[in-house]
Amino acid sequence: MLQTFLSRLGWFVLLFFLQVLIFNHINIMGYAMPMPYVYFLLLLSSETPRWVYIALGFVLGLAVDLFTDTPGMAAASLCACGLVAPLLLAKFAPSDKDTDELRPSAVTMKWTGFLGYAFCLTLLHCILYFTIEAFSLRDWQTLLINIGASTVLTFFLIIAFELLRVRKQ
Amino acid sequence: MYYLLEFIRKYHYVLLFLLLEGVSFVLLFRFNSYQGSVWFSSANNVVAEVNGVYSEAASYVGLRDINRRLTDDNVKLQMENEQLREALRKATHEPSYTEQYVREHLEGYELIPAVVVSNNVGQGNHYLVIDCGSDKGVKPEMGVVSGGGVVGIVYLVGPNYSLVIPLTNEKSSISCRIRGQNYFGYLQWEGKNLLHAYVDDIPRYAKVQKGDIVETSGYSSVFPPGIFVGRITDIHNSGDGQSYKLDVTLGTDLACLRDVNVIATPYKAEIDTLRSHASEAEVALGQ
Repeated sequence: MLQTFLSRLGWFVLLFFLQVLIFNHINIMGYAMPMPYVYFLLLLSSETPRWVYIALGFVLGLAVDLFTDTPGMAAASLCACGLVAPLLLAKFAPSDKDTDELRPSAVTMKWTGFLGYAFCLTLLHCILYFTIEAFSLRDWQTLLINIGASTVLTFFLIIAFELLRVRKQ
Repeated sequence: MYYLLEFIRKYHYVLLFLLLEGVSFVLLFRFNSYQGSVWFSSANNVVAEVNGVYSEAASYVGLRDINRRLTDDNVKLQMENEQLREALRKATHEPSYTEQYVREHLEGYELIPAVVVSNNVGQGNHYLVIDCGSDKGVKPEMGVVSGGGVVGIVYLVGPNYSLVIPLTNEKSSISCRIRGQNYFGYLQWEGKNLLHAYVDDIPRYAKVQKGDIVETSGYSSVFPPGIFVGRITDIHNSGDGQSYKLDVTLGTDLACLRDVNVIATPYKAEIDTLRSHASEAEVALGQ
């Protein structure tokens, strides 16, 4: 229990600092912006209460927001992701699983399941984030490019994180 | 209550989600100038839209009151318009020659202006009611004139209104003479045409022509002498053949009369006193 908590806290702090110190300064072509802090929500097990998903999403999003000077944007979108994440997890969870508790990873869910889960959540987060940032659909081409490019970039970063984690285990 | 608590227990995470989203958006609009301005302007639009709908509905509901007020205003304006038109008419009225003549003759007499408020033309005996009564000094047997000449004689007096017997009443009999000559007779009405009357008892040797002017003689003390009554249109012999009967077209159209003046003769009391003295003397002599 404590180990789980510490591990999650570690990921939280790690993702937060990575985002604040590195990824916030990456902005490829003015469109693609990596936001791999979504990875934190992917790590939560299926037994986590839904309010914890939502609350953690909000807190992490707000913490990131404070350093990007965009209060509310990431918080709102990551909070919404926290609401949807358990439903996605249930959808992508392997059906032949015996135990109730599922700790999402490439190992437990196979790569396809986990990547599907990760991609959906990343896409959702990017859609919400950039929609809130643009706050209008007038320039929808730019909005779509932003969403697509950032989703792809973030998705690759999440694959990298997952590879590192699986190999470490 | 139980179901409410159950509902909250079951969906508490949704409530939390809504709360946190609310906080997020408050932060978003509060600290991000772009989103804040977009939010503010679109919220403004929505508020303006709602207010517009509300005010339209309110104005529709208020139509009844507005209608009432409009009607009141309309009546008020119409009355004011009528007053102004009347004032304009008075201000721009140019007196005719007869009117000037009548006015000149009436100088020195006190004139009490009055307006005809009732005129029963064509309904039995002709009477006029004027809006002046004893409160303004009108007394029975005072003369009434208008711009066209003689109108009639005050018969009954109330505090605020008076009844006038006009020339065109069969009971009316006014002492007249022909201008330039001193033959006099009594003007009476033939009972048909409101513009025609006749004068009896003009001696046959009087030089009378059609078109001569008939005016008041002044003998009756009701009217001062020389006030226009009408013009001679025809000359007949009277029934007994001893005198002329003159057809007279009246100067005043009594069917459409409005502004008149009551003549308060200053000498009437004196003349009446003398007359009564005379009759007393007659009686005394008779004895």
